[in-house]
Amino acid sequence: MSDVAVTGERRMGINWIGLGTIIRREWSRVWRVPIQAFLAPWISALMFIFIFGYVVGGNIRHIAGHSYVEFVLPGILMLNVVNAAFLQSTSQIYFQRFLRYIEETLVAPLSYVEMIIGSLAMTIVRSVVTSLGILVIGMLFGATHMYNIFEFLFWIISVSIVFGLLGIMIALWANNFEQLTMLNVFFIAPLSFVGGVFNTVAMLPPFMRWIAWANPFFYFINGLRHSMIGFNEAPEGLGVVVTLALIAVLGAATWRLFSIGYGLRE
Amino acid sequence: MTVPAINIEHLRKAYRTGTVAVQDLSMQVQPGDFFGFLGPNGAGKSTTIHCITGIATVTSGKIEIFGIDAVKNYREARRLIGLSPQEFNVDTFATVAQIVDWMGGYFGMNAAQRKSRVDMLIQRFDLTAHAKKQFRELSGGLKRRVILARALVHDPKLLILDEPTAGVDVELRLDLWRYLQELNREGKTILLTSHYLEEIERLCRTIAVIAGGKIVREGPKEEFFTVPGGLEKAYLEATGHRADHVAAGAA
Repeated sequence: MSDVAVTGERRMGINWIGLGTIIRREWSRVWRVPIQAFLAPWISALMFIFIFGYVVGGNIRHIAGHSYVEFVLPGILMLNVVNAAFLQSTSQIYFQRFLRYIEETLVAPLSYVEMIIGSLAMTIVRSVVTSLGILVIGMLFGATHMYNIFEFLFWIISVSIVFGLLGIMIALWANNFEQLTMLNVFFIAPLSFVGGVFNTVAMLPPFMRWIAWANPFFYFINGLRHSMIGFNEAPEGLGVVVTLALIAVLGAATWRLFSIGYGLRE
Repeated sequence: MTVPAINIEHLRKAYRTGTVAVQDLSMQVQPGDFFGFLGPNGAGKSTTIHCITGIATVTSGKIEIFGIDAVKNYREARRLIGLSPQEFNVDTFATVAQIVDWMGGYFGMNAAQRKSRVDMLIQRFDLTAHAKKQFRELSGGLKRRVILARALVHDPKLLILDEPTAGVDVELRLDLWRYLQELNREGKTILLTSHYLEEIERLCRTIAVIAGGKIVREGPKEEFFTVPGGLEKAYLEATGHRADHVAAGAA
């Protein structure tokens, strides 16, 4: 008998091959539906940029020296990153539960952390690919700028992690497709639209400005906008703190759900 | 002293609904044994298997795989187990080759190891012509073969088969029996559940009967054949059913 089972490949206590396999499997799953995964958000972004940025925006004055289409592009990009991350993580966990192939990973020597990181890694990949497509579309309208590439990557990756974790938690809780979409309908979509995609905080009536400050989407959109065109409305560093705090809280909650087997183990 | 392949002590599994599927179950499977695990539907066979393999959480009790605690050191314990579950738990849109290959990946096998094992198993289970087909396109018998190939990809020391021949034709069943006997001769420990008593009788050396979440009878196969009616009568009596017709038929 060979000793394949006893050895396995593990370095620094991590099952890297197992981790890579989760990503390979999800990549394969996403590529079964390329229209839904990539083409749909790109077409949606194209329409938003064309109508709001180009047609309507052509009649709007410049904001801090930037055309309206340049101002609106980071917001549209962030909307799609949020959607891509949330849909990727909810669908991958929920379908594993629905078709029961989550059991393949439960019986394997994978830790909870490896299972979570594997899911998040593919969430980030999908968000990055979606973002690249939208940047290219933005170029067609002369709207794509890069003020700070590292800051840009920070926002794309960290927001993907936030909504990846949120998506995992929802997918563990949901018992049907209706429940799966509830957070998106009642929370993500409304808050993202009032988070400053199309307007600055200064454009809001004074009594409504507190909504923006209390809305985490404002910090995500504002951060990404700063990384692309250098326009910033929030106190320096506050958005980074809010985002990292959300990752810490959601990460701990997700790890706890995995460790007690919530929605995973019988 | 030999370390048992499976050592279960006072296992209890209660679901959130309050249903107690397994209560105070203790049993041992010796290394190299071919162990038959019998019981009526709902007796707790699959739940016990799910607790051993990590699909279900353990409410209380201890499970060791070759001396390794299956809860505390679950990663080490799971490396040693291959599971063929009763129900098809696969990504039905994935291909046969992907399903087997991914399982090897979860177990940390590198690309070369995986290729060698996947090719061998696909050939062994006559799946070569179907390797690139999606799982959902296969017949029931072919699906069962894929599940078995997946269970064996990391060459586990302990193979757990939960009704592996349910719904397969006679030819495949006979071929599978030969293969399982071959694996057992090579030293693999096999735990088999089945509703086919003939299968248990032909393959297993030790038998345990579970009913109501407890082991109600356990011993070497020969002990089940000391009375007229053999395994069927012993099984029905152990599970609390009337076995008159069996005895009459055997007389």
